[in-house]
Amino acid sequence: MDRRDFIRIAGAGSATLALPGAISNALANATGNPWRVYEVTTRVEMLKPVGVTRVWVPLPLSDDTDYQKSLGNSWEASSGKAWAWHDAKYGAGAVAAEWPADVKPVLEVKSRFATSDHAVDLSAKPGKQRLSDASRRLYTAPTDLIPTGGIVRETALKITKGANTDVEKARAIYNWVVENTFREPKTRGCGVGDIKFMLESGNLSGKCADLNALFVGLARAAGVPARDIYGVRVADSRLGYKSLGKSGDITKAQHCRADFWANGYGWVPVDPADVRKVVLEEPPGKLPMDEPRVKAARERLFGSWEMNWLGYNYGHDLVLPGSSRGPVGFLMYPQAETAEGRLDCLDPDNFKYTMSVRELSLA
Amino acid sequence: MPESRSTAAGRSLLAGLLVCASLDVAAATLTKWTGGRLPALKLADADGREQGTADWRGKTVVVNFWATWCEPCREEMPSLDRLRKRLSNKPFEVIAVNVGEAPERVARFTRDVPVSFPILYDRDSATAKRWQVRGYPTSYVIGPDGRIRYYFVGELDWSRDDVVRTIEAVR
Repeated sequence: MDRRDFIRIAGAGSATLALPGAISNALANATGNPWRVYEVTTRVEMLKPVGVTRVWVPLPLSDDTDYQKSLGNSWEASSGKAWAWHDAKYGAGAVAAEWPADVKPVLEVKSRFATSDHAVDLSAKPGKQRLSDASRRLYTAPTDLIPTGGIVRETALKITKGANTDVEKARAIYNWVVENTFREPKTRGCGVGDIKFMLESGNLSGKCADLNALFVGLARAAGVPARDIYGVRVADSRLGYKSLGKSGDITKAQHCRADFWANGYGWVPVDPADVRKVVLEEPPGKLPMDEPRVKAARERLFGSWEMNWLGYNYGHDLVLPGSSRGPVGFLMYPQAETAEGRLDCLDPDNFKYTMSVRELSLA
Repeated sequence: MPESRSTAAGRSLLAGLLVCASLDVAAATLTKWTGGRLPALKLADADGREQGTADWRGKTVVVNFWATWCEPCREEMPSLDRLRKRLSNKPFEVIAVNVGEAPERVARFTRDVPVSFPILYDRDSATAKRWQVRGYPTSYVIGPDGRIRYYFVGELDWSRDDVVRTIEAVR
């Protein structure tokens, strides 16, 4: 049987793939929200390899959560070698692949995972959730692009003046980001996330990796544990927002979100960058802050995420295995290096990758 | 949501674990396992008959975690069957653990690619996670004493002479 036959077999009935009841039961979460199952395929081709080529493709969150569970990964790197890698500090995962000179490097990674809409009811009576000391230290610490001293701390203290609890502080920072930043469509990719530069320059524009990093940095500087979560959109929004979803070809649908820790409630999802995306992109565009869709998004995105999105990792300043270059600020796009150095992950002339998603039925 | 101690422990187990999956099938070799003991495994086949690590004492066993949607898994299946046939006169067994799929779907696959070894079902993926499976296929070679000796992530030609010799040498 040749490979095409196998593909045909695997593809047969895929639109009605029935996952067993055991999975449905295992996926039941405390909120009773339904789960959706997806398969994301990432294919990377190096168009101009020079010498040894290395590629890294991020994998879904390795730890299961109430909103996302990994169902497995598979990869192929013909004529090369590939392996699963996990960073020790954040648990960020990737498929790392390497090819010798004189071969055409191609890597294909498939990931299956389930997601369920995620919300934390901050009006409910708090529970007993407490963050470990190690996690509190990790998620209040500065990173290369997210310092927590100087202008970041000064700004955070101004914003949170009068706020007593971590929820109040996070709410104040969220409101400040929503009201003082804007989405810049000309920003390449999702932005860089250099928050000190943003605050010093007064240029508070960017995309998700900028605006949500600003939330995270200000929260950390105010003593509130917070994380960037890098990922990609995998389905259209069911909430009526054209700008907040993507299905099918998701090659350019990378999106990072953020959360913060509140004792008694756990990690609380937020996404101020998506409020600004609604402002800019929902038709007819450039909506006023009091427009009903903006107001609804602003209310909803403090405490909940629609899970039409795949989370990869919380990592910063990651040293990729085998890399001859310095750390990457975050790992949300496929990365690659040849003998000539690290390639621009947003440059399709040298480094071509495609990402597609299909939703599988949980019949 | 409380921070889970078990997931934190799982993360530390995985941290720094470099799982080599050479995909040059002709040259790939089994990797020595240094990860210590893994939890006992007990799963049922499509007819509900359970078996697991406690039942395999005295045999060398290859445990292969796979899924029908994983192309390298599908490619290597026939070689696992050839391996089993080559070692049919030894205390040896191949156990395939399908992760997350229904028996009906697996049956559709094995109608086209028949295999002689048992297929067990890890329908909620819990065993695969306990066994630190992050990529498919992942295989473990377990010695007659129940200790894991080798592992491999990715597609391997299990009927290659050097691979068979390595498995035969497990005591």
